[in-house]
Amino acid sequence: MRRVLTTGSSRGIGLAIARRFARVGDEALVHGVTHAAALGALSKIDGKAQAFGADLSKPEQIEKLVSDVGEIDVLVNCAGIYEDMPFATATEADWDRTIAVNTTAPWLLARGFLASLRKRKGVIVNIGSDAGVLGYAGCVAYCASKGAIIGLTKALAVELAPEVRALCVCPGPVATDMMEQSVMKAADPEAERLRWASFPHMKRIADPAEIAEAVIFAASPDCGFATGSVIMVDGGVTAGKRV
Amino acid sequence: MISFDYSDKAVLVTGAGRGLGLAIARAFHEAGAIVFVNDRTAEMVASAMAKLGGGDRLIAAPADLATAAGARKAVAPALAQGALDILVNNAAVNIERGIEETSDDLWAIHLAVNLKAPFFTVQAALPLLAKSQGLVINVASELGLHAIPNNVAYVAAKHGLVTMSKAMAIELAPQGVRVNAICPGTMDTELMADCARDSGDPENYYRSFRAYHPLGRIASPDEIAQFVLCLASPAAAFMTGSAVAIDGGSTAGRV
Ligand SMILES: NC(=O)c1ccc[n+]([C@@H]2O[C@H](COP(=O)([O-])OP(=O)(O)OC[C@H]3O[C@@H](n4cnc5c(N)ncnc54)[C@H](O)[C@@H]3O)[C@@H](O)[C@H]2O)c1
Repeated sequence: MRRVLTTGSSRGIGLAIARRFARVGDEALVHGVTHAAALGALSKIDGKAQAFGADLSKPEQIEKLVSDVGEIDVLVNCAGIYEDMPFATATEADWDRTIAVNTTAPWLLARGFLASLRKRKGVIVNIGSDAGVLGYAGCVAYCASKGAIIGLTKALAVELAPEVRALCVCPGPVATDMMEQSVMKAADPEAERLRWASFPHMKRIADPAEIAEAVIFAASPDCGFATGSVIMVDGGVTAGKRV
Repeated sequence: MISFDYSDKAVLVTGAGRGLGLAIARAFHEAGAIVFVNDRTAEMVASAMAKLGGGDRLIAAPADLATAAGARKAVAPALAQGALDILVNNAAVNIERGIEETSDDLWAIHLAVNLKAPFFTVQAALPLLAKSQGLVINVASELGLHAIPNNVAYVAAKHGLVTMSKAMAIELAPQGVRVNAICPGTMDTELMADCARDSGDPENYYRSFRAYHPLGRIASPDEIAQFVLCLASPAAAFMTGSAVAIDGGSTAGRV
């Protein structure tokens, strides 16, 4: 039984990942912004699970999370924020928030858990995005934060091999609260939903469980020769586009 | 050497106190451009301007790029002149440390100067660049495309800069502003000398970095500066969102 911490696992992709690990018999260490949020997710998980709360934009709470959780075999950095942010008007606070949660928190957690990951020959799986590879308008800071987590993954991989592997799973559009919020903000939510579903070559939005499947594989011994890999699970978005 | 004519252009180069930035400022200045010279302090800028030979086509733009306010301050002289055609985000820090030795502050300064500053210099310069149909060149690194050990904060920041350049390119394309990144391999600059000293064995440091590049040498800042002038020329007018490696073959494969 491996001890697997998945950040941002009270809902969305993270919850699907935590459920999937529990299903194969691993211990799911569920994390949410608050302890209550993480506790609320436990009922959705079949198997051994524990709840932890920490606001990942606050380094001191990250430090506490590391000491509360103890040793782990697998770190899945899934927590992240997306905000529509027109380039011309984004503020320093907007930038700092995005980078703190999407880039700095994964780094602090990787460094924080390094001793046990080394000892247990563990795996770090970061959740990137198609927006870490492709540029999109309206979210320049988000793209920067996700590009940086891909770089972080490769840097961890080359420095920590052969003891610890590090991989980055990059989802395209996935049906979660994050997407729902962005859809509901649009003038015509239904049209916006259709737009999201139409741009991946697979002609649909992914289910969180499909991302979890890639994460499970990345963390499994079957994937033991892969490190530094950027695994695109994006419906073909980064492969190319139609004219 | 190709000769360029930038005589009607205004260029801002960050981190132009030394190294590649100084070489870029010199190349544009010699090609006739008005150059806004940025570095962290007024003294560093003054000494760079003296090295460039002085004259009224050099304008001081000192500012510490560790904060958004600093990034805006670097653009202020260009805003005051009302002209900017080319913005070169060159300033960066690179202090090589292993994962456990990378402190919170070390991480923060790499992400601030190497990634956040280019966001806010471009934002501040946007009205001028839109007016001039200008362009941005972000100096990333081959380490924005792949990684080496013991440099985690720099690798993360430079990867972020590569993707950020693409996102800026997409968002600003409708306004006619282009954004490209260059990804140089190792250059013989003061930064390289600092890193070599910091490694404890400078000779070995230089030897291994020469061997690391398939071309078997490191680049001179002047040759990379020449490439920046190519990229800023009309020959590259259809380029935007590119991240061009100029790295002696190091990201292409292994010898
Ligand atoms: N030297 C190399 O081998 C190499 C390789 C690839 C990419 N690069 C990149 O090329 C660029 C230039 O590097 P270099 O080798 O000339 O380095 P350098 O250290 O010689 O010059 C960098 C300049 O940036 C300035 N700077 C640093 N922090 C600043 C701040 N807070 N505010 C304002 N200015 C600041 C420094 O004072 C310095 O003048 C950097 O973006 C670097 O990452 C260098």
